Amino acid sequence: MAIYKRLYRPYVGRYTGNRFRFLVITKSALRTLFDSRPLLAFFVACNVPFTIFLMIIYINNSAAAQALLQMKNAPIVIDNFFFLRYLIFQSTLSFLLTAWVGPGLVSIDLSNDALPLYLARPLTRTEYLLGKFGVIFLMTSVITWVPGLMLLGLESSLAPIGWFERYYWLFGSMLVGSLLWIGVIGLLSLTLSAWVKWRIVATGAMLGIFFALAGFGEALNGVLRTHWGYLLNLGFDISLAWFDLFRMAPHTGLDNPLFELPPWAGWLTLGLLSAFCLLMLNKKLKAREVVR
Amino acid sequence: MADTNREITFNNVSKFYGEVLGVNRVTLTIPPGITSLVGPNGSGKTTLMNLMTGLIRPTEGTLSVCGLGPDQPEEFFAMVGYCSQFDSFPKGITGFDLVYNGLMLHGYPYEKAYKLSMEAIDRAGLVQAAHRKVAGYSKGMRQRIRLASAIAHHPTVLILDEPLNGLDPMARAETIELFQSIAKEGLHVVVSSHILHEVDKISDQVILLSSGYVIAEGPIHDVRTDVTDHPMQIMVRCSNPALLASKIFAMNHAVEAKLHSDGQGLLVRTRDVNNFYLLLNQIVESGAVELEAVAPADDDVNSVYQYLIGSEGNSI
Amino acid sequence: MSTARPDWQKRFVQLRAVVTIELRRYFFTRQALAIYLLALAPVVIIGLHAITSPLGRHCNIAEDTEILAGIVQLFYVHLGIFFGCLILFTWLFRGEIVQRSLHYYLLAPMKRDIIVLGKFIAGAVTTSLIFCTAVLLSFIFMYGHFGPKGEQFVFDGPGLHHLGAYLLITVLACFGYGAVFLAISLIFRNPMVPGAFVFGWESISGVLPATLQKFSITFYLKNLAPVDLSGKGLLSLFTVVAQPVPAYIAIPGLFLFVGFMLFFACWRMRTMQISYAKD
Repeated sequence: MAIYKRLYRPYVGRYTGNRFRFLVITKSALRTLFDSRPLLAFFVACNVPFTIFLMIIYINNSAAAQALLQMKNAPIVIDNFFFLRYLIFQSTLSFLLTAWVGPGLVSIDLSNDALPLYLARPLTRTEYLLGKFGVIFLMTSVITWVPGLMLLGLESSLAPIGWFERYYWLFGSMLVGSLLWIGVIGLLSLTLSAWVKWRIVATGAMLGIFFALAGFGEALNGVLRTHWGYLLNLGFDISLAWFDLFRMAPHTGLDNPLFELPPWAGWLTLGLLSAFCLLMLNKKLKAREVVR
Repeated sequence: MADTNREITFNNVSKFYGEVLGVNRVTLTIPPGITSLVGPNGSGKTTLMNLMTGLIRPTEGTLSVCGLGPDQPEEFFAMVGYCSQFDSFPKGITGFDLVYNGLMLHGYPYEKAYKLSMEAIDRAGLVQAAHRKVAGYSKGMRQRIRLASAIAHHPTVLILDEPLNGLDPMARAETIELFQSIAKEGLHVVVSSHILHEVDKISDQVILLSSGYVIAEGPIHDVRTDVTDHPMQIMVRCSNPALLASKIFAMNHAVEAKLHSDGQGLLVRTRDVNNFYLLLNQIVESGAVELEAVAPADDDVNSVYQYLIGSEGNSI
Repeated sequence: MSTARPDWQKRFVQLRAVVTIELRRYFFTRQALAIYLLALAPVVIIGLHAITSPLGRHCNIAEDTEILAGIVQLFYVHLGIFFGCLILFTWLFRGEIVQRSLHYYLLAPMKRDIIVLGKFIAGAVTTSLIFCTAVLLSFIFMYGHFGPKGEQFVFDGPGLHHLGAYLLITVLACFGYGAVFLAISLIFRNPMVPGAFVFGWESISGVLPATLQKFSITFYLKNLAPVDLSGKGLLSLFTVVAQPVPAYIAIPGLFLFVGFMLFFACWRMRTMQISYAKD
C-alpha cells in the first residue's frame, strides 16, 4: 500500500473582493507600463499645459502677480471658452497617450494566447475589459478632468463674486466632456487592440482612423456638396458635443463648420461608435480562438 | 592538421545580449558525424546554433562551417540546413508551401522544387497532411515539417535545435534513424536535445554547455574518462562477488564495491579503470571467479551530464 | 574563401521567388483589407455622386475636376497612400519578426539585398495596383456620369493627361512612401513614432527651406500635379509649390530618393540579427 505525504495546502488567506477584482489587471498593467521611462516622461509632460493654465488663472486673479509682471489688468477673460480650450489641449494629449498605451493592452494577451489564462480564473470577460479600460481611464483622468476640476475650483475660489454663480455648471461640463472623450477613445483603442493583434499596426490604425476618416469626410463633403461628412471626423464629433456641453454658441464669432451641424449629430455618432466598439469587443474577447 | 573545409570551427567566440551572456570564449572543432549539444536551459545551445547559421553574429571571435561563413549566404546556406526551435510559421501557410517556398528561394526550377519538396515531406512522414495549413498541425507535425524544410535541399550540414521535442516514440525512432542515415553519408549533424538517453544512442560526440561555457567536448567515453573527480562505475556479474570485492580492495584505486542483492554480482567504483580491468583479467584467469558480464555503469551522457553540470543545472 | 562569380540568373530567379511568395501574401490579408478600404472609400462616394447627379445635372466639369484633383492630391497622396504604405511596408519585415518567421528568409541561400528588393517590389506592386485601380475608378465615375460632355473632356480635352498624371503620382507615391517605411521598419522597433514624424514632415514640407524640401516625397509629387489647387489656410501647406521643378527632374529625383532609401535598407538588413524576444 502506498503512503502519500499530504504537503499541499490551499491558500486560506483573504481574497480581493469580487467587485474590485478587475483592478488587479489594471494595477498589473499600469506597473508594466510605467516601467517604460519614455512613457513616464510623456505622462509627466502631459501635465505641462495644466501648469500653464494654472499660472494663467493665478496671474489673472492676483493683483500682486500682475503688478510684479507689470500688467495693467487681467490678461485674459476666464470663461467657458477658456476651459473648453483647456479640455481640447488635454484631450489631444490624452488621445496621444491612449494611442501609445491602448493598442498594446489586449493585443499582447491575444498574441501570446494569454486570454484563456485570464478567463480560466474567477474573472469574467466584462471584468477583464474593465481591468484593461481602467488603465486608460486612470491615466487619462489624471490629465483631463481631475486637473480640470482643480482649475475650476481654483478659479471659483479666486475669481470675483458672481463668477461661480455664472459658471458653476462648468464643473459638470468638464466632467461629462472628459468622460465622454475617455470612453470613446478608450473603447476605440481596446477594440483595435483586440482586432489588430500587432500593437504597432493597432497604433497606426488608431492614427489612421483619426486622420484618414477626417480626410475621407472632407472628400465626402466636396463630392456630395454636404457638411455631414464632418461627422466622420472624430475630433469634430467630440467638438460638437463639447460645444454643446460648454454652451458655446455661434455668437462667439468663430468661423467654424461646427455650427453647421446640430449637436445631437455629434452625440449620436459618438454613441454609435462606442456601441460598435462594444459589439466588436464582445465578438473578439473569448476564451477560445479559431485558428484559420 | 585538421581539414577546416570538413569541420565546423569556433575560434574564441563570445556572444553577449546586452549585459546577458549567451556563450563565452568558445573554441571548438566539430568533425563530421552526429554531435550533440547538451546542457540545461539557458546554457547557450540555441545561441551556439544561431551563431553557426548566422541568425546572430558573434560579439567576438570567428567561426566557420566547412570553411564558409554566413557572410557568403549563397554558398553557405546551400550547404546548411537548420531546423530551428522557433515554433512559428508564416501566417496561413501549408506544410507543402513552407518546404516548396524554401526551395524556390534556393533558386530551383519549379519541377525540381516540387520533386524535392515531396521527397522531404515523404521522409518526414507528412504526405497526407502536406496541403493542410501548418496552423492546424499538432506539435509533432510542426516539428516534422520544420525538419522536412531543413533537409529538403540535401544539406551537408544539418543543424537541429531540439528536433525530438513533441515527437511521439515512433516518430522519434524514425527521426533518429534519419539522422543516423545522414551521418553515415559523412555529413555533419549537430543536434541539441534534452532527451539524454536518445542523445547517448545517436551521438558520436557531445559538447556539454553550462551558463554559456563549454564544459566538455569529445566522444562520450573520452569525456567520461577525463572526469576523474567521479570514480568510474563498473557493473560485474560473476560468481563469488565477495572474493572479487576483497581482491579489489587490496588495490588503492578502488573506492567502493557494492554487492548485488542476489549475490551474483557487484558494482565497483574505481579511480583507475585500466588497472581495474587488468586485475579483473588476472582474477578470472586464476579461476577464482567465473565471469558472466562486465559493463560500465556510468559511461553515458546522462552520467557525464550529472557529474559535470549537476542535476540543478549548475556546473561543478 | 569562395571566389565564384555571381550567378545573376540564379539571383533573378530568387528575386522572382521572393516577389511571388510575397505577392500571394499581401492581396488577401487583413492588412490589405485596410488598404482596400482606404483606396476604395472615395470611389464609393464618387460613385454615389455619379448616381445622384446623372449627366452632370447638379454639378459641372470644372468643379468636379477640382474636387477629383483634391481627392487625389490631398486624400490619396497625403492620407490614403501614406497610411496604406505605412501599414504594408512596415509589416514587410517587422511583421515577420512579430510572427517569428523571418528566419525562413534569412536561412535561404541568397543575398539579403534580394530579400529587401523582393519584398519592396511586391509591396510596391500591391499598393500601386490597389491605389491605381481606385484612382482609375474614381476618374471613370467622376467623368462618366457627364455623358458626351465628359467623353469630350477626357478624349478631346485635358482628361487623359490628368489621368496619366494621377496614375503616375499614385505609383510614385507608393514607391516613395514604401521605400521610406521599409527603411524605417528596419531601424525602429515601433515604426509608428517615426511614421508620425514623417506624416508631420510631409505636411509641413511646403514651408521648409528648399534643400530640406527635397527630402520629402510630396515635394516631387506636387510638381507633377496636373491641376493647380487653390488651398486655403492650412490646406495650402499641402498644395502650394514654392519652387517648381520640371517632371524630368522630379521623377528621377524621386527614384534617386527611393534608391537611397533602399540602399540604406539593404545595408541594415545585411547586419540584421534575429531577436524575436524583443518584439
